[in-house]
Amino acid sequence: MSSKVKNWLLFLATVTVVVLLAMLGSNITDRKSESQFAYQPQVKIADNDPRNDVWGKNFPRQYESFLETKEMDFSSKHNGNQLKDALAGTPELVVLWAGYGFSKDYNQPRGHYYAVEDIHNTLRTGGPTEEGTGPMPATCWTCKSPDVPRLMNEIGIAEFYKGKWFDKGEQIHNPIGCNDCHDNKTMELKISRPALIEAFQSMGKDINDASHQEMRSLVCAQCHVEYYFNKKEPVEGVPYLTFPWKNGLTVEDAEKYYDDINFSDWTHSLSKTPMLKAQHPGYEIYQQGIHAKRGVSCADCHMPYKTEGGQKFTDHHIQSPLANPANSCQVCHRQDQNELMENVYSNQDKNKEGAHRLEKLLVRAHVEAKKAWDLGATEKQMQPILMDIRHAQWRWDYSVASHGGSFHAPVETGRIITTGIDKAQEARIKLAKLLPKLGFDGEVPYPDISTKAKAQKYIGLDMDKLEKEKENFKETIIPKWLEAAKKREDAMGVQTVSSK
Amino acid sequence: MMLKKLIPPKQWQPVVIALLGAIVGLTLYIAQTARVTSYLSDDPETCVNCHVMTPQFESWKHSSHREVATCNDCHVPHDNVVSKYAFKAKDGLYHSYMYTLRMEPQVIKMHQPGREVVQANCVRCHNDQVTDAKMSSWVANHSHDRTDRACWECHREVPHGRVKSLSSVGYQIQSLPVQGEKKDVIPTWLKDALKNKKK
Repeated sequence: MSSKVKNWLLFLATVTVVVLLAMLGSNITDRKSESQFAYQPQVKIADNDPRNDVWGKNFPRQYESFLETKEMDFSSKHNGNQLKDALAGTPELVVLWAGYGFSKDYNQPRGHYYAVEDIHNTLRTGGPTEEGTGPMPATCWTCKSPDVPRLMNEIGIAEFYKGKWFDKGEQIHNPIGCNDCHDNKTMELKISRPALIEAFQSMGKDINDASHQEMRSLVCAQCHVEYYFNKKEPVEGVPYLTFPWKNGLTVEDAEKYYDDINFSDWTHSLSKTPMLKAQHPGYEIYQQGIHAKRGVSCADCHMPYKTEGGQKFTDHHIQSPLANPANSCQVCHRQDQNELMENVYSNQDKNKEGAHRLEKLLVRAHVEAKKAWDLGATEKQMQPILMDIRHAQWRWDYSVASHGGSFHAPVETGRIITTGIDKAQEARIKLAKLLPKLGFDGEVPYPDISTKAKAQKYIGLDMDKLEKEKENFKETIIPKWLEAAKKREDAMGVQTVSSK
Repeated sequence: MMLKKLIPPKQWQPVVIALLGAIVGLTLYIAQTARVTSYLSDDPETCVNCHVMTPQFESWKHSSHREVATCNDCHVPHDNVVSKYAFKAKDGLYHSYMYTLRMEPQVIKMHQPGREVVQANCVRCHNDQVTDAKMSSWVANHSHDRTDRACWECHREVPHGRVKSLSSVGYQIQSLPVQGEKKDVIPTWLKDALKNKKK
């Protein structure tokens, strides 16, 4: 072979190697971009985008199942997803909460979809007419909307909590949704509310150490917990959302926390007791129960996996597992569905029985304490009685305000009610000793509170006025808020993936 | 003598060196785009370098095995380092040319060598659950009898489930590193805001 031919062969071989290498390179680049298009999302989700429907464009299954929280079709023995008037069902509540917003209006909860609508409509938020008015602070918005992280980011945490509920009304529009629990880039679970992070710090823990399974409960614990508004720290005069977790997660731990700082949510208008209102210590009570101890998370039962056309995904129709026992309970429990439901109802019935006895005792205690005040009792005489009433009602409220308590931790809930009954009776024994000293003999009559209206009249609420104010608020203010929200969100636009 | 013949004449040497440099450079570039070094690791993200593995990755990521086992814990041998990397190389190269030539099937199934490796790895971790040390002393072939059937003949959903085609994976933005990564559950904006919350 001549050297000329050899050189040509060498040349061709090099050409082939380079061409093949280049083809491989382009193949790899092709396939890499292909992987991007194979799972191409429709839109780019901006940081803290509060609009659930925008996230829903990329995650239609999750979004569409979230929309099912709109449904009002389920009623279990004691609860459900309908707007049921709890005060009408148990008028005693009106007396227990005398002097506090809950005596005006208290309904059984509906799905997350209604979070903003229901807080607009409740009489508890009143009928404010301008900035700086109304009975509730801005802090009440904290758990209602994915607009909250957005606004906190824009104006700062303390600034968000500052002022009245009315002042931030225009800003909060979307009901609880995607941006509350998910990272917009990775879809990993995230914590978007400072209070939970701070509560972990107060216990000496780092929330970043939470496992994925724990996160499937902690995103819920951002809101479904006991909390209070700290007006002293970290900013004087700002009702800063805080969880009383420093001493631990039990009812006594929180009670001690509040007693130590001398905190009360309101003063009872009949008995003058410095009261505590239990919010909804769902996470804390669940922690005391067997499901938590076995590592079952909130999402396991309230958001069980679902398949659609062979695709497995998390059902974002967050609801009572009793509405879907096949996918939530029966994944682990092989028993018959009716039997499982009966087990739950049996626990609920038994705790309800105790709780209802405690309610009646508490009404008596409040009324008898009022009688003692009327007869000229002194602060000193009343102080131990009021502490017993405070602790008894705190325990009652704690046991019922966490709606799932009788399921999540039936024994703990029963224990809380038992100690509540004990405290209530202590108060009444002390009252029974005090009343004769003040010159009263006999039984203080149980008030006629057989209906909600009678009970509200008894504690001196002017319901007509409240309702009129609310109507006015709904007619004049709400449309303005919605209009402003629409304008703001239209301006945000939607960035599709194909657009630059 | 032979080598000497390959060395080009003096005046051509600069050209040849430049050409060789170009080829090496091109190779390096390709190695980098193909994330070649990632194949030496145990990171499950490596397996989704080819997006056709996404259903496997996603189903694993949503299974309890995610907490304790990576892809490599099950899919490569663990008797020694040499056989681990030899198997990895053999399997990986096979995957790479099937993928490059666009010959991959819609539904990916394991070949016989892979099945053997996975079975051995099931037993490696779950040995205590499937065999009984006491019984093996007096029951003939006890260990063998308890481990010769493929575990997934019964445990059909472990860990990937029965639905494994590309169409079984929903929308997702990116595959995520899960193992060994210290994740942060607090978004950056909130971390910053907490630092100056007094404002």
